Amino acid sequence: MKNTFGIIYSKPFYILIAIGIFFFLFLPLIIVSEFLFLEPFLAFSIYPETTLSFSLIVTLSFLSSLAVSMNIYRVKLIKETKKIGSSIVGTIVGASAGACSCGPIAFSIIATFGTAGSIVSSFLTIYEIPIRLTSIGILGIVIFVTSKSLSRECKVKF
Amino acid sequence: MVDTKKIAVAGAAVVLVAILVTFATSYMSDFDTPRTSTTEGEFQKLELKQAPVLGSKTATVAIIEVGDYQCHMCKLWFEETRPQIIENYINTGKANLVFVDMPFLGSDSIPASEATYCADDQGKYWEYHSMLFTYQEDEIDGGWASATRLQAFAFNLGLDIEQFDKCMTTDDHFARVNYNKQVAVTEFGANSTPMFMIVNTDNGKAQRIVGAHPYSTFEDVINSLL
Repeated sequence: MKNTFGIIYSKPFYILIAIGIFFFLFLPLIIVSEFLFLEPFLAFSIYPETTLSFSLIVTLSFLSSLAVSMNIYRVKLIKETKKIGSSIVGTIVGASAGACSCGPIAFSIIATFGTAGSIVSSFLTIYEIPIRLTSIGILGIVIFVTSKSLSRECKVKF
Repeated sequence: MVDTKKIAVAGAAVVLVAILVTFATSYMSDFDTPRTSTTEGEFQKLELKQAPVLGSKTATVAIIEVGDYQCHMCKLWFEETRPQIIENYINTGKANLVFVDMPFLGSDSIPASEATYCADDQGKYWEYHSMLFTYQEDEIDGGWASATRLQAFAFNLGLDIEQFDKCMTTDDHFARVNYNKQVAVTEFGANSTPMFMIVNTDNGKAQRIVGAHPYSTFEDVINSLL
């Protein structure tokens, strides 16, 4: 597994992709979850109650960046898109958790869908931690399976 | 034959794009100018005269909080930031605090807001307000703000339960809560909670703060308006 990571991330292109995906997820998520504020001043704050939530966002963004970049490598190498769907699903599941809360997204959902929107918003807020943990689990499995598959397929290829 | 995996991947990609578009449109709407001239620097006096005020009514700065009693970010702000503001600005007479209801998160939000005004009829608005945020639970409409619980809160504060019940059953303050919600949305341009308007009551200068910002943000804004 270590060798697989070494092969993939020895190429700067994949490191850049991973960094890009990390920030592409991390920044919107910390803004939506109210850890980072852009107005009226740039402010960052973590309350003691939200430390776990912040840690999960960091983990989720990191694993998503690994899973997606590894799968891009895999797609380029063996022209197969089999596992990229799981990493996208894992990312979506994790990103949707806690995105509602009392923010503008919740307001939009509730204003558009009424009671049903309120239920969805409430569900995503209450189960934020378990949903993010599930997502992290999915991404962990995707990374493991992709890595195993890459090391096997690479042996065959080379 | 259609490849189901390709469809799943395409579906997932569509959902991801939809989430990003929703996020972008919702978030960017925060930067929209409120629909009236009530914006930074041009604050107009609103009909909030009957709103309970925490602190000196003649304070130079008014902190107007827009919130929902079921909003957990409002609870975080209530627990973490508000005590410091009370200590440094409200107790010293520099600022006062007004709460504007924007009940949108669930069906129990409106009765919770109404209950605060029923408590206000008996002179205990802020005590009831604090009790709601103190005992707020995670689940929206999960029963923590049910009619029975609202009555229990009133009982714990020593309110006249008969008068409180009558006030709640006759919806004495329903129109007031709706008016506040309307003011929050149309005048302040609120589309999330908590949201704050910090206003210098002498010159009308105002600054909007969206979200449960840390104390440092409030400190900077209030000091700039004093």
